[in-house]
Amino acid sequence: MKKQAAKLLIVLLVVSALSIPALAQKKVLDFLWFSDGVEGDVLKEIIADYQKIRPDIEINVIETPFQDLRIRLQTMIAGGTPPDLSRLVNVGDFAPALLDLTPYLGLEYIDDFVPSTHRNVIIDGKLMAVPVDVTANGVIYNKDHFAQAGIEVPTNPEDVWSWDEFVENLEIVVEKSSARYGLAYDYTFHRWLTILYQAGGKLFTDDWTAMAINTPEGERAIEFFVELHDKEIIPRSIWLGGENPNTLFRAGLTAAHWSGNWMLTNYRDNATHFNWGVMYMPYGKVRSSVLGGKYVASFKDSNHPEEAVEFIKYFTSTEVNAKFNEESLFISPRLDNAQLHYDFGADMFEVFSRELAVSPPHAGSDWAHPFAGRIGDDLRDIIVEALQHKLTPKEAVEKMEQVGNRILDDYMK
Amino acid sequence: MSDRKRLLTPYLFVLPNVLIFLIFVVFPAIYGLVLSFTKWDVISDPVFVGLKNYISIFSSESFWDTTRKTFIYVFAVVPWTFVTSLALALLLDMKIRLRSVMRALFYIPSMLSAVVIGVSWRWILGDNFGVINYLLERAGFKSVGWLTTPSWTMFVVILVSVWARAGYYMVIFLAGLQSISSVYYEAARIDGASVWQQFWQITLPLLKPTSLVVVVLTGIEAFKVFDLIVVMTTGGPGKATTFLVQDIYRWAFERGDLGYASAMSVVLLLILGLLTAVQFGIAERGGNAYE
Repeated sequence: MKKQAAKLLIVLLVVSALSIPALAQKKVLDFLWFSDGVEGDVLKEIIADYQKIRPDIEINVIETPFQDLRIRLQTMIAGGTPPDLSRLVNVGDFAPALLDLTPYLGLEYIDDFVPSTHRNVIIDGKLMAVPVDVTANGVIYNKDHFAQAGIEVPTNPEDVWSWDEFVENLEIVVEKSSARYGLAYDYTFHRWLTILYQAGGKLFTDDWTAMAINTPEGERAIEFFVELHDKEIIPRSIWLGGENPNTLFRAGLTAAHWSGNWMLTNYRDNATHFNWGVMYMPYGKVRSSVLGGKYVASFKDSNHPEEAVEFIKYFTSTEVNAKFNEESLFISPRLDNAQLHYDFGADMFEVFSRELAVSPPHAGSDWAHPFAGRIGDDLRDIIVEALQHKLTPKEAVEKMEQVGNRILDDYMK
Repeated sequence: MSDRKRLLTPYLFVLPNVLIFLIFVVFPAIYGLVLSFTKWDVISDPVFVGLKNYISIFSSESFWDTTRKTFIYVFAVVPWTFVTSLALALLLDMKIRLRSVMRALFYIPSMLSAVVIGVSWRWILGDNFGVINYLLERAGFKSVGWLTTPSWTMFVVILVSVWARAGYYMVIFLAGLQSISSVYYEAARIDGASVWQQFWQITLPLLKPTSLVVVVLTGIEAFKVFDLIVVMTTGGPGKATTFLVQDIYRWAFERGDLGYASAMSVVLLLILGLLTAVQFGIAERGGNAYE
């Protein structure tokens, strides 16, 4: 009996020893990912296709909510175990920990991508990440509410509403339709910047060394935003009470939602009880959207840098990038993917693209600043003080300049 | 058993606990103290900056404003929780009908997670989806900005904090009340003492050790409040309900300044230590009742 047990043990040991090399051959790459809509599912399809070509690679997607991305990544980096790949919004924020992709891909790799993304990914002359999709801020509106009120939104980009006309029309919609408020406005500094650019202002000086918000244009942007709240066109519960703007729009309580193209899949799947579309945003001094984007990068301390770069190359190649953006309803940053074929909302993408085309250059470059993300929340708090009338618009932009410069000085030392 | 074994055995028994305490409490605390003298964004290497973080903290208007709001919150939550839980304990110590059911009902909130409490109250008090505002509007009144007006928001976070924890401290007070001998009350009644006199002259003095525990625990808990407030108000409107721990979190994880955040944690530790010492000092000076 004892002999039999010993034999069985030996067989088991031999089998398990033989299987170790087979397992060891397969390299597992961790990919930290967040999703706004359905793009996580599209990524998994792309990974499945990739694993058919490269059976020696397994990509393990670690999904995390966007708001936890920075904390999670910081913790992984601090613990010496960064993922092999990560989706990022602000590349500069993590630059010291990122893998320099230049030796693997060459700096010219970025030439295939729209120039407005270059400042986000080239840091100190090195390619630190590759763009995956670009985003545009915009206004999504409830067609039924506008129809009830007899208001037609502008369809000609040459003849869009001014800020005043926008306010007047939203007031009419609230009066004559079942909408309770005119506009849900995302509680983020990034979204507020749209108004700053439309007012003709900008956040940073061109050399990125100081704040450039303390101007009459900056003041006007605050003034307009306060007006939208004072007239209760934007419900105070979003910027002062943390209420979710998506919920308000989906519930039909607001006539429009000032957000961006990443909301399309969400509303396609969830806002099905009313008709909605994308309208041209109003102009202040000029027309503007805000160019944003998502990037993919690897890390210096990654266990598989070469394999990670191989995947980045595959993921950002023309065909795969087209699939990712078409199915996720995003805009591609690749120059050769300028004309994608969307199964849903092609007309809406037309509006977003035209908004981006007329936006001033700093509407794309400001957010590429490595510390833009870090000062955003502090500056948003100052806007809230203006909404509460604790600060005048002039005092608000002065405080934003002072606080922003202090943080910039601190980080740049 | 040899003398040596006898000597070692108790230490071996406590060793696992001591190790856990050292690894997860003492070493991180020491590391936090060291970090408070550095500038560190997690991604780059820490840089020694001496007392700069402490100087920045004490010269920061925002820090003093947050500290002031934290003290307002603590000095409201502690007495309210004390009075409410004591009142509930006194009520449920009497021989009344459904006493056990009511004890369980009042205790339930303290078993719920802070996130569940925060989300629930958010739905009750919300501007547009809130039950209370819906009822007010149906009754012909104007809705109230419970979570959008700074003064109302401070009031409701205090109220919800008391609601959430009163049941827990009620149980502690009940244990204290049941340990008071009935002999004192019988003697007092024979001497003609009223109910109020019995409360002030017997119950309250004899509950002194329990009261001290409740005050110290609620005080520390109130200073450390984080999850409930973040879920209910995210510290807003603006920074109206941003208290010290949330501010530390923001410095560490939103602004990425671990050094400054660690220095703030050290300051919070000193404040808590000082207040606890004062509370124990006051209790010591009063001596123990009826010793």
